[in-house]
Amino acid sequence: MTYHNLLFVLAAFFAVWAVMARKLLTSAIMLALVSVTVSLIFFDFGAPWAGVFELSVCAGLITVLFIGGVSLIRTEEEKRPEGRARFYALPLALAAFAIAAWFYLPPFFEELAGAKVLVSGGGTIGAALWGLRRPDLLGQVLMLAAGVFVIKSVFPRRTEK
Amino acid sequence: MSAFAMDWYLIALVIFTGFYCMLASRSIVRQLIGLELISKGAMLTVISAGHQTSNLVLAQALLITMIVIEVVVVAAGLALLVKNFRIHGTADIWKLDGLKG
Repeated sequence: MTYHNLLFVLAAFFAVWAVMARKLLTSAIMLALVSVTVSLIFFDFGAPWAGVFELSVCAGLITVLFIGGVSLIRTEEEKRPEGRARFYALPLALAAFAIAAWFYLPPFFEELAGAKVLVSGGGTIGAALWGLRRPDLLGQVLMLAAGVFVIKSVFPRRTEK
Repeated sequence: MSAFAMDWYLIALVIFTGFYCMLASRSIVRQLIGLELISKGAMLTVISAGHQTSNLVLAQALLITMIVIEVVVVAAGLALLVKNFRIHGTADIWKLDGLKG
């Protein structure tokens, strides 16, 4: 097994662990490990910018957000834990899916790979972001503003009467 | 099997795990974790497709947009979790409709 495939297998393994973990804190940490593995895959593909963003934002910021949320509800979660039977069935369901998909999905993916159109992928990430995808940047700014607005509307300032 | 098909096969397993998590759990945190896993699978497909068509630069530009959107979605979801927990004292997603009004 190559390093590349090993990273994909590790990502799937950590994903299963994140879903099956009894404690939500363990789930959040496993999700961070999935992010780290995915960023290593990006580096392996030769996409360092995506890898850096994934590592800093997804493995860093989102994990902090998750751990903050989990620490708030931890006492309630320990008092009334969810039923575990459905989570213990995950490996079985995943194995059934993996076996069924082994026969049907790879031929479809081979067909997809055969239909690829090679394009000139030259240039730098800066040129792509500021030249080709400038409307995306505007969309990102608007999306961040929408996020701030959501937080503000969910937690309105209390007015004393 | 080509490397591309093998990569996408393993990505399909990650996405299936995310869907299963969203279906099996009623906790808002686990719903968001499932959503994150599906999102990771989608990101991997974008980069893999970019690598396949020798257009990694554009794929990375798209991916940065996806990451920003993902952060905002998770932050909004966790804000709803905190609000729901303050009102109902639970992280049950079925109680979210109590926030309407």
